[in-house]
Amino acid sequence: MGPAKRLLDKLLDEEKLGYCQNCGMCTASCPMARVIPDTYNPRLLLQRAHLDLEGLAEGEELWLCSWCYRCTERCPQSIQPTEIFLLTRNFASERGNIPRNPRMIIRNIIRMGRSMPVDEFTNELREDYGLPPVEGVSEKALDEQRKIMGEEFMRRVEE
Amino acid sequence: MSLEYVLYPGCVASVREIGYELSVRKVFERLGVKLSQSNDFNCCMPACLVHSVDYVRGLALTSRNLAVAEEMGLPMLTLCSSCFGNLSRAKYMLDEDPQLRREVNNVLASAGRKYRGEARVEHVLTILHKDYTVDKLKEQVSNPLGDIVAAPFHGCHIFMPAKYSGFDDPEFPSKLDTLMAATGVQVVDYSEKTSCCIGCGSFFGDVSQTASLKLVDKILASAKEAGADCIVTTCPFCIMQLEIGQIKLRDEGKDYGLPVLHFVDLLGLSMGMDPGELGFELRRVSVKPLLAKVRG
Repeated sequence: MGPAKRLLDKLLDEEKLGYCQNCGMCTASCPMARVIPDTYNPRLLLQRAHLDLEGLAEGEELWLCSWCYRCTERCPQSIQPTEIFLLTRNFASERGNIPRNPRMIIRNIIRMGRSMPVDEFTNELREDYGLPPVEGVSEKALDEQRKIMGEEFMRRVEE
Repeated sequence: MSLEYVLYPGCVASVREIGYELSVRKVFERLGVKLSQSNDFNCCMPACLVHSVDYVRGLALTSRNLAVAEEMGLPMLTLCSSCFGNLSRAKYMLDEDPQLRREVNNVLASAGRKYRGEARVEHVLTILHKDYTVDKLKEQVSNPLGDIVAAPFHGCHIFMPAKYSGFDDPEFPSKLDTLMAATGVQVVDYSEKTSCCIGCGSFFGDVSQTASLKLVDKILASAKEAGADCIVTTCPFCIMQLEIGQIKLRDEGKDYGLPVLHFVDLLGLSMGMDPGELGFELRRVSVKPLLAKVRG
């Protein structure tokens, strides 16, 4: 997968995943692991990213990271679990494993250039408070967005 | 002092949290800060969603917004901490890694765009703290809110990781507290002050939404126990999670009744602005008990 593979290799090797001390700082700092410890454990996910990337890409846990960066901020070995998980999700996406909810939000973005649709009620309410209406993202911006995404990106999300 | 920015409203603030957008516009107008607009921006393309499909094209999509702002020649004012964090992250990564910047610019070229490295990404709080400055803000406070005990809730992306945003200390953030203190409120410390609302994780369905509610419960309980009259956030997503969470928790017999405001709402009040002008009736948890303390 080209540049993304280069980045993942860099994070997994140069940034010393092999030197993970198993200290558990990532899990101890993780808000998700704090409230659903039996379901989510970033320390174990990191080990699996190193040892069993294919298997990890098939599961759902990978998508439970809440992207808060506490683990990345605190890791004593400067490992960047948050970025590693995002890159690992690329493998999952390549294999068609994008969970339903994120897939629907990304489809909104593809169609409208926004993650949340704007309904009539929103603009009426905005008008009541003297706010300008939320106009659609310009055609020009949407066209540029499609070109940057490319066919393969849209295929992964739409299929 | 003439300050001007291009407003980057983001999806959450402009659709779900229009009371917050309203407060920002009204307060900034009063402060003499000029806001330009553009409909050439699109979604910030959050890394947890879009970059998860394709890391490099995702970065290019996010950086497109930086390129649009560069052409306008104005710093960006983001309303949402996650837009701020996501755009700051893209900028940091492209500025630090020349090879990645070339790769991203190769993709951007297909749409006639280029990231030049000049974009400046700011947030309501970074502007008030760094550009407007706390001392000048204090001069604007005509109605100090000394009777209110307020619990700061920092969120995540405005200060973590420190290398992306560079705004505050990642372990002991204090800038929101400093800004709050300028309005005269009593800033209260509590154990969940730097917790996470799991807003960005809650996208992923039932498991993560349940997780978010569990954590929101802990945050509210901790603020309540510390004697807070309200929670003050930096991010519209935190407001949503903390308010909607309270409504859900009522069904479980837990009625916290803790109003949730953005810092700029508090600032507007302390500047003597009318709660109606700031859209306070749009709040999902009633602000009335709090306003009684303002008038009293």
